[in-house]
Amino acid sequence: MKYALLIYDDERAYGVDKNGPAMQEIVAKHMVFGKELGAARLGGAGLKNTAAATTIRTVQGVKTVHDGPFAETKEQLGGFYLIEAADLDAAIAIAKKVPLVQDGSIEIRPVMGGA
Amino acid sequence: MSLDVLERVAREAGGRIVAALAAYFRDLDIAEDAYGDACAKAVETWPEHGTPFDPAGWLYRAAQRKGIDALRRRRTRKRLMPEAPPPEPTAEQLMMEDAGEIPDERLRLIFVCCHPAVAPDARAALTLRLVCGLSTGEIARAFLVPEPTLAQRLVRAKRKIAEAGVPFEVPGREAWAGRLEAVLSTLEVAYAKAHEDAAGAGVHARYATEVLELTGVLAELVPTEPEVFALAAMVRYAEARRPARLDARGAMVPLSEQDPLLWRRALIEEGDVYLRRAWGPGPLGARTLQAAIHGTWCWRKSLAESAPWSQVLWLYDAMVEQRDDVVVRVNRAVALAEVEGAEVGLRELEGLDSRGVSGYLPYHALRAHLLRRCGRVAEALAAYDAALALDPGDAERKWLERRRAEVGVAIESGGGELR
Repeated sequence: MKYALLIYDDERAYGVDKNGPAMQEIVAKHMVFGKELGAARLGGAGLKNTAAATTIRTVQGVKTVHDGPFAETKEQLGGFYLIEAADLDAAIAIAKKVPLVQDGSIEIRPVMGGA
Repeated sequence: MSLDVLERVAREAGGRIVAALAAYFRDLDIAEDAYGDACAKAVETWPEHGTPFDPAGWLYRAAQRKGIDALRRRRTRKRLMPEAPPPEPTAEQLMMEDAGEIPDERLRLIFVCCHPAVAPDARAALTLRLVCGLSTGEIARAFLVPEPTLAQRLVRAKRKIAEAGVPFEVPGREAWAGRLEAVLSTLEVAYAKAHEDAAGAGVHARYATEVLELTGVLAELVPTEPEVFALAAMVRYAEARRPARLDARGAMVPLSEQDPLLWRRALIEEGDVYLRRAWGPGPLGARTLQAAIHGTWCWRKSLAESAPWSQVLWLYDAMVEQRDDVVVRVNRAVALAEVEGAEVGLRELEGLDSRGVSGYLPYHALRAHLLRRCGRVAEALAAYDAALALDPGDAERKWLERRRAEVGVAIESGGGELR
């Protein structure tokens, strides 16, 4: 099955514009993790911080453009992986290894049509 | 006649058949629907053609066929390509075949139902539905939730299992830690529901033995975990006492007043075997202590032998270190009052007042008994009323009402020593 692993943590840890020392540390960890995943990694990316986010909101068919993320939360979507795993247990095992420099969450979402 | 057989087979082997189907198809809905279709087919054909040689095997085979049909229909719909259906077997063929051993996949199914990715409030219900074959209505009554609510919970849980790709496997050793606890607590919840029904005549009666058997299966499969043995021991001890739990009028008989001669010795001996295996050299877990408390009671040979209150108190002292909650504290207070006196027990209960005990029936019942033993009659009556207001089960209500009436009589006859 195909799963998306969505990485949520507090982006303030990575400094303004995500260029602090924590960023270099986490990027190095993701490089190692990506190598470990090998062919199981179908895709993925780190995301720039929410200050760079733009949201298009549709209300009653009317589309408006807004500055900022979809929702203001304590932890933000900071990156994602798209992986291939045999089942949820295999996906959980991989998700537990996704590097974090601090507390955070990895949300596992099965991908539509990815069974 | 053949429908009686169907009912008995469904009760005895239904869970096993559905579990085997679920493992085979790796799909809970297909397994359940196929089993339902097979039962319907049995209702249709057995009265006419006679009961098959191996009814459970017949049901399993017929359901397998129905499931394969359903899968094929589903695939055909998706690809819009017609596929030839398999030839329908004749009634004679069906009657002759013997599925042999239906594989026992119940444990695998328990791990699916108790996966941490399944909502906790759905795990026990799903296990009882799929592994023990209880109806949605039965489970809803046991869990005191409206049937539509429970049905929706089950649908949601099954959808989650299918869509998230929960594997139909018993997890490997490395994953035991988290997964096993979810399974044990689910079985505990399930057994607790069966145990509440002291007469064993109500909606839960059916699955007390199922849960008993499942804990045995689990202990066989995981022969290294003390907590698994402890649960297997605990449910056997508890179940062994069932014949002594009600008096002739259907009122509850407290543990210390139950006649040990009525207890089922064979189950107690089984419990002993499991408890010995749980009682290892390492630190004792909460479940092992709990099982030991049950065991300590069950080793009493007759009412002539004094009740083992001091051993029980010692075990509860150890238990509080592991699990310091209101349930353990109130149970400990029962033993404490017997060993050190009613006043000491009452003081211990007062210490719990701030911990949200107002809705906990055993707290009020114990408080009433201890107040009455201290001669505080008016307060005792109020405490009995508080317990009765919490809507106890039939047996417990009768017992509480009787004790309350005894206090009332004591007032009319001018008080006096009550015990």
